[in-house]
Amino acid sequence: MTGRRGAGTVLALLPLAFLALAFFLPLAQVLSQGVREGGRWTSGRLAEVLADPYVRHLLRFTLEQALLSAGLSLALGFPLGWLLARYDFPGKGFLRAFTLVPFVLPPITVALGFILFFGNAGYLNRGLMAALHLPSPPLRVLYSLWGIVLAHAFYNAPVFARFVSTAWEGLDPEPLEAARTLGARPWQAFLTVTLPQLLPAVLSAFSLVFVFCFLSFAIPLALGGARYATVEVGVYMYARALGDTPRAAALALVEICISLGLTYLYLRGGGLFLARDGGGRPLSRVRFPSRPAHLLWLPYLALAVLVFLGPLGAVVADSFLRPWGGKAPTLSWYAYVFSGKSNPFLGTSPVGSIALSLEVGTAAAALALVLGMIVAAVLRRLRSTLLEALLMAPLAVSSVVLGLALLLAFGRPPLAALGRGPAAIVLAHTLITYPFVVRVIRPLWEGLDPALVEAARTLGAGRLRSFLTVELPLLSRGLLLAASFSFALSLGEMTAVIMLARPGLVTMPLAIYQFLSSSARQFGAASAMATLLILVAGATIWLWELAGRRWLARYGGT
Amino acid sequence: MAGLEAQGLTKRFGRVVAAREVSFLVKEGELFALLGPSGCGKTTVLRLLAGLAEPDSGRVFIAGREVTALPPERRGVGMVFQTYALFPHLTVSGNIAYGLRFGRLSRRARARRVEELLELVELPGYGRRRVHELSQGQRQRVALARALAPRPKVLLLDEPLSALDAALRLDLRKELRALLKGLSITSVHVTHDQGEALAISDRLGVMRAGELVEVGPPEALYRAPRTPFVASFLGRANLWPAVVVETGEGVAVVEVGGERIACEGEDVPPGTEVLLFSRPEEVQLGAGDLRAEVKAAEFLGDRWEVHAVFTGQPLILYSPAPVRPGETVAFGFSRPPRLLPREGETAQ
Repeated sequence: MTGRRGAGTVLALLPLAFLALAFFLPLAQVLSQGVREGGRWTSGRLAEVLADPYVRHLLRFTLEQALLSAGLSLALGFPLGWLLARYDFPGKGFLRAFTLVPFVLPPITVALGFILFFGNAGYLNRGLMAALHLPSPPLRVLYSLWGIVLAHAFYNAPVFARFVSTAWEGLDPEPLEAARTLGARPWQAFLTVTLPQLLPAVLSAFSLVFVFCFLSFAIPLALGGARYATVEVGVYMYARALGDTPRAAALALVEICISLGLTYLYLRGGGLFLARDGGGRPLSRVRFPSRPAHLLWLPYLALAVLVFLGPLGAVVADSFLRPWGGKAPTLSWYAYVFSGKSNPFLGTSPVGSIALSLEVGTAAAALALVLGMIVAAVLRRLRSTLLEALLMAPLAVSSVVLGLALLLAFGRPPLAALGRGPAAIVLAHTLITYPFVVRVIRPLWEGLDPALVEAARTLGAGRLRSFLTVELPLLSRGLLLAASFSFALSLGEMTAVIMLARPGLVTMPLAIYQFLSSSARQFGAASAMATLLILVAGATIWLWELAGRRWLARYGGT
Repeated sequence: MAGLEAQGLTKRFGRVVAAREVSFLVKEGELFALLGPSGCGKTTVLRLLAGLAEPDSGRVFIAGREVTALPPERRGVGMVFQTYALFPHLTVSGNIAYGLRFGRLSRRARARRVEELLELVELPGYGRRRVHELSQGQRQRVALARALAPRPKVLLLDEPLSALDAALRLDLRKELRALLKGLSITSVHVTHDQGEALAISDRLGVMRAGELVEVGPPEALYRAPRTPFVASFLGRANLWPAVVVETGEGVAVVEVGGERIACEGEDVPPGTEVLLFSRPEEVQLGAGDLRAEVKAAEFLGDRWEVHAVFTGQPLILYSPAPVRPGETVAFGFSRPPRLLPREGETAQ
């Protein structure tokens, strides 16, 4: 219908205009600084940056740690996916929910957990020293390549577990049974039939995790310092510590080229793989533990508990156990975190940063919801790859680069009109989170029977009314899920914030980082605040796994 | 006054013509069925009437007023969808009351109307149920009640019974006809099921490839179709190529494979090539001087369906007693066959 298409085109102009003003223009202005000098185009600065030994070190280190991190994530995550796909055991729902952790848990809390648990004076080393009567810490993993790789593995192994278990559960059991009747032993059948079928999922997860780790910021910043810095940290340091924007822009261009290439490989290599339907009969599962052979899982489970629960447990424990005025356990760190006492390293009070985070998170979630709905509506009506690429483009740009672009854009009209308050951070978080809203809402919306709206129309509801009374209520739970996700993401996001922050304009993750890195080193305050963020992440996961599933059960049947 | 009129409705989807110059008139209170094989464009026509699609050309009138340019919510139509399209987030009452929200009814009047409709579709007390707690048959009734609630001028039904199993479908189509006739509401009923269209409608139109081929009362269309397509689509038909040899006094004698058969027909010049048409139930076994060889017989419960060959042409007839394949049987016609032009395709 021509009218429908026309309305779609008008609707498309809204998000396009917004993105042009708030995203494409600022981005173009920043990146052009990397290839322009004195009003002329030049490749000189790019060549200069690429020849710089420090930049070469950054690139080499970033790729190296991403490769190692993805490898270790695979090693830790594959068995977890195996457990989820092939066994039934108490607490399985909890474990499955845990695989959502990397999507909502703020990286800075993971970094803090690693310092507290694996650090030289951490719980693990202190425990080992006490148990084995050692004079010095036996495990020295932190502040090295391996510390970063281990933290990344903690963060990304669940991604592998999710991809592998989803793919494995979707496998048709019959080829495996055929292999057995043809004479293959169980392990031979696994190697020759199951594993090759899982390979696309593994590769897909590998490339995705590689991109995550390539663009990692908070973990290398907190655990690595200048020596073990990623490109993302490098852009931040050039821009904010050295004030060399052109150089930062040139490095950002290099980074974008590499990350776009990697993303392209991910999409080509099997990003679509997950859309595949499973075979008819579900795979049979084994109760765990029920056989002696299951004892072989014990070392892995012990390691998993150590790596996954250790750091998180350390954060929560530390928030109560870190002595305050000689007393432990104590609730004083929470009292401090909720106090209005100004902290010189924050430029505001701890409770001020909590308030700012809630304010930014609420505003960003609301804006992301509106923008995401409009984009989903547009992409539903006008199917165009180019339009989709344009409307989802912020997904492809790293948070440091986005932060840098907005930092400069807010210094000049028209965005300067929004003031020097938290507007820039809200905008950054809106741009970071709305693509996720689109991803949640669009399949739900497209899954609605079009006859529902048509029925509403024949019953006397106009276009807007039928949207408000039929589509919106049916999408409401999805919107709630998307909003909770955006809110959690905004609350934990530190990368764009650190680019845009000023004294006094400090959100919770940045406050944690300041508590950690400032000369005062207030670990107790950092732990208390990080515990709050872990609670938010936990609540979000709970909402997704439980409420989300119940909702599907309710509406999915009709 | 006409309840509904379609004038030259044409709709193209790319290079496919889904509806070509479709015109028909539905009298007020009449139950009109649009029948055709799947993909013939009948649902497209229904959507054009509802305003859910815009015609490339043609006009739609409802109760004498042109509505072609009006959106669906301003046409005064009620529609029952093939999937029922009940709102899963609303209760049964909420669904039925949905179309009442936009009028000027008081809350109490709305509740009364909902109760009235629940009574009408024989679901009293079901108001607070959720849609997913209902059976398919109950959903169908709720969809009907919802469409009727705002008192539409025209009711459009898109394959309303196709989601039901066979036995329930037969029950509900009787109820549906009784209910719609009781309300004297102008209705258009789209279906691909000949039995349903014949049983339910006052008049029906048969569509093929986007075109309305024939319109008429069910019995007239069944007994005396004007095209081989309608003849074969509306039921079992014997259609044999024949040549007219003699005419006069309402009778035309034709020749089929050397045998002469007297048919109904006038003004057909001798030598015209035609199709002889008869229904299996008009073929009388053992009465007459024509001979056919039995090829197969299928037991249907109350009778046998016999497939035979008559001078090389397939013949279908019904027999109360079993006949053996290979047997030669005599037959005649209880009603003289009719003549149809030899044009177009058949539906078989």
